[in-house]
Amino acid sequence: MSQAHISLKNLRKTYGAAVAVENLDLDIEEGKFIAIMGPSGCGKSTMLRMLAGLEESSSGDILHQGRRINDLPIWEREMPMVWQSLALFPFLTVRENVEFGLRMNGVGAAERKHRAQVWLKKLGLGEYADRGINQLSGGQRQRVALARCLVTEPSVLLLDEPLSALDAHLSVQMQGELKRLQRELGITFIYVTHSHSEAFSMADTVVIMNKGRIEQAGSPEDIYLRPATPFVAEFLGGSSIFDCTIRPRKNGELVLESADGTFKTDALKTAGLAPGQHVSLVVRADQISITPAAGWADNEVPCRVIGEEFVGALVNLRLETGAGTQITVQLQQRDMQTLDIEVGVGVTASWHPEDGHIITE
Amino acid sequence: MTSLLQARRLSKTAYSALWSLPLPVWLAGFFLGPMVLLIWLSFWDVKNFLLTPDFQLENWQKILTAGYFWSAYARTAVIAASASVLATLAALPCALAISFFLSPRARMVLLGLFVVPFFTSYLVRIYSWQIYLTENGIVMKLMAAIGIETGSLLNTPLALMVGLVTLTLPLVIVIQAISLLSLDRTLIDAAYNLGCGPRRVLFATVLPAARPGIVLGALFAFIFSFGDFVTATYLGGGKFTTLSILIADTVKSGQQWPRAAVVALMMIVTLLLTALASITYAYRRS
Repeated sequence: MSQAHISLKNLRKTYGAAVAVENLDLDIEEGKFIAIMGPSGCGKSTMLRMLAGLEESSSGDILHQGRRINDLPIWEREMPMVWQSLALFPFLTVRENVEFGLRMNGVGAAERKHRAQVWLKKLGLGEYADRGINQLSGGQRQRVALARCLVTEPSVLLLDEPLSALDAHLSVQMQGELKRLQRELGITFIYVTHSHSEAFSMADTVVIMNKGRIEQAGSPEDIYLRPATPFVAEFLGGSSIFDCTIRPRKNGELVLESADGTFKTDALKTAGLAPGQHVSLVVRADQISITPAAGWADNEVPCRVIGEEFVGALVNLRLETGAGTQITVQLQQRDMQTLDIEVGVGVTASWHPEDGHIITE
Repeated sequence: MTSLLQARRLSKTAYSALWSLPLPVWLAGFFLGPMVLLIWLSFWDVKNFLLTPDFQLENWQKILTAGYFWSAYARTAVIAASASVLATLAALPCALAISFFLSPRARMVLLGLFVVPFFTSYLVRIYSWQIYLTENGIVMKLMAAIGIETGSLLNTPLALMVGLVTLTLPLVIVIQAISLLSLDRTLIDAAYNLGCGPRRVLFATVLPAARPGIVLGALFAFIFSFGDFVTATYLGGGKFTTLSILIADTVKSGQQWPRAAVVALMMIVTLLLTALASITYAYRRS
């Protein structure tokens, strides 16, 4: 088994009685793009700050290539960070900002200048070298912050919501650049964000945290198709979640019983599920369709339309069942017209038994 | 409807005009007016000890070609610059301690204490320094007790510096502390993160980032010292003729208000240029 590049073992951080990070275990492979996501206060930033040495861990280990680094001071960790505020030095020019890390590590002036110039060129900032930070646009500053870290040739780069200050268009463009850079350099990126699109578009591994714990760590596809906990399903959004109990039918087939009706689900055929067990059924918005009348398909739930949200050519329809469960359905814009749907009307939502994912509790 | 809206808009304009009125009135009455008078006065004549309105360049010629003016000018500049550097260097450790090592509560108390000197008149504080520094005064006796024999410390450059730093230090500390407190602490973390150890962080990050405040503090110290009359008179004993003393002398000797105006205008121009240069430097990148 190859050794993990960075390992967190039983890492814990408390502030007095408040627990920020609770017994975290995580292995990060070399050269991977890891996105750490979660709601505000879930401990994702605290974890990143512990990696960088900005916060002391209360207990547990942080291993970098097998070496425990908990007690290394910040300036010896060699884990440069791209800050949410960018934290560029306003009293230095663009080039001097990029040279800073090299200067601190005793690299000579000529080599410093050369290496800074190489990186500035690589990030399209060659002609801005002698400008001040305040004379750059948001996207350019972002690149300076990246160059300032990457010029030191680190094996790992920490990124703390670096794109949150950019407008949507620029953010998408930078996501592409970041991913390309990471692939080219082959270094480990640890990227903290609260944005689903950033995490899912760039990361090899997405880690979802809640209340200081890891809820799920896996490939974006894995997390998207098979959320491990109701929290993950809810956090990712776009899914409908039903609280169910497994019941046997007379023919021995298992079905799910919920306040909204009885559902057939292929996922019940997997081993390890027993009658009487309490589970959550997660159905993604793109798996649910609207049928004009009842009696057409399996798994039908009568609902009322409570909201619609237009996202380009798609519409996210929000429905509510008689039992109060909220259901999200994704439709094509044109289906809205054919189905004659508007807020307040009654519709029937349904999905195939092969769709739907079961989370055991 | 429209008339009501118009009326509202009008009353809003009137309201904001009322509030913005004091500034131009104040500026015109206490700054621009006196400046114009001063410039005008510098072209007047004095006949038989009487001021006579005139427009003649003689005052400017006399002062700008006088050796005593330029030596006083140079002396004043050197004294003010020394006091400014001294106050800045003395203030820095205090301001750093206040901003980085104190609890917010202790910080408030201490910054409050730096306002206390302003409760007492500067003149009174300088008078008390006379008692400390005079022949057989407290300082001289203390020095003698530890084996250092000094003469009277009054009327020495040291006394001048003591007086001027007394005048400027509290203000310089407060300005520096405010600048250090408003410094983005993430910059320090970022410096650490890039391998800057704690021993280098002061000169590589903290001081450059606080440069506007440090330069501004030094500028204030320079301005106050440059125009100071009290210290030069009471602790310098008139031995060091500064421009302020020169103005007083010029007025006293033969009612030469117009020539004093020339000296004053030269001082104002010097301070404006110094301020301009300092502020440019403060916000320039390395």
